[in-house]
Amino acid sequence: MTQSQSKTQGSPAPHSAVATEWEGRWLVVVLNDPVNLMSYVVLVFKKVFGFDESTARKHMLEVHERGRSVVWSGVREKAEAYAFTLQQWHLTTILEHEDAT
Amino acid sequence: MKRIEVKLALPVVAPLLDVIRELASGLRQELAAPLGPADLDAEFAAAWTSELLEAQTADVAALLAMFNEEFFAEGVIAFDEDNAEQIVRATAAVRLRLRELHLKPLGDEMLESGNVELEQLADPVRKAFMCYLFLATIQELIIQHLDSSILGS
Repeated sequence: MTQSQSKTQGSPAPHSAVATEWEGRWLVVVLNDPVNLMSYVVLVFKKVFGFDESTARKHMLEVHERGRSVVWSGVREKAEAYAFTLQQWHLTTILEHEDAT
Repeated sequence: MKRIEVKLALPVVAPLLDVIRELASGLRQELAAPLGPADLDAEFAAAWTSELLEAQTADVAALLAMFNEEFFAEGVIAFDEDNAEQIVRATAAVRLRLRELHLKPLGDEMLESGNVELEQLADPVRKAFMCYLFLATIQELIIQHLDSSILGS
């Protein structure tokens, strides 16, 4: 389930314009919330990204202390898939283009 | 299959189920956490939301199913490899909803630290906060005992 596929349907001209819009590296950013437990966030990071315990804890602490952590970066389609999965686990997630940071 | 049974004080926990049931109906229609990516087109966002709501509804149903005849007869609830993942997600969803609808007056700092004087809270807020703590305990128990099942599924 990706937005990029629906965005690239249609005539050739919009196709190329939209393709340019979604190019480059996208960051999957998890934002802090005051509700989810630290142990829960660590579990989610391990489950979704396959992080080991220390990497998952490092990202969880970044979220907790700095309010956000970049947990993955890469192509838009995969970033959307990760955002969707994190949303299923009720973590507040945004996507940012690396040029915007 | 690993199975964890927890004996609960029925008179304390049964009233909290009313809070969870009340929130469950709202969670069938609204996501517990706000939809993240802001640049999704409307059609895609609607499809995304619909799929998330379906999963969220199933998770909350699994949480409520834990409070079955055995619970009302003996005060016992059970988690195992089959329901752990859904229940852990559902507890997160209901806790987020509790904050949104009932616990905002406490403020996020107090909510995060857990330093709340129960006696000073009005009845509805106290009940909501007790439910919030109860669900955190369930979540921690599952993570402590069944995290390998969740990670392996």
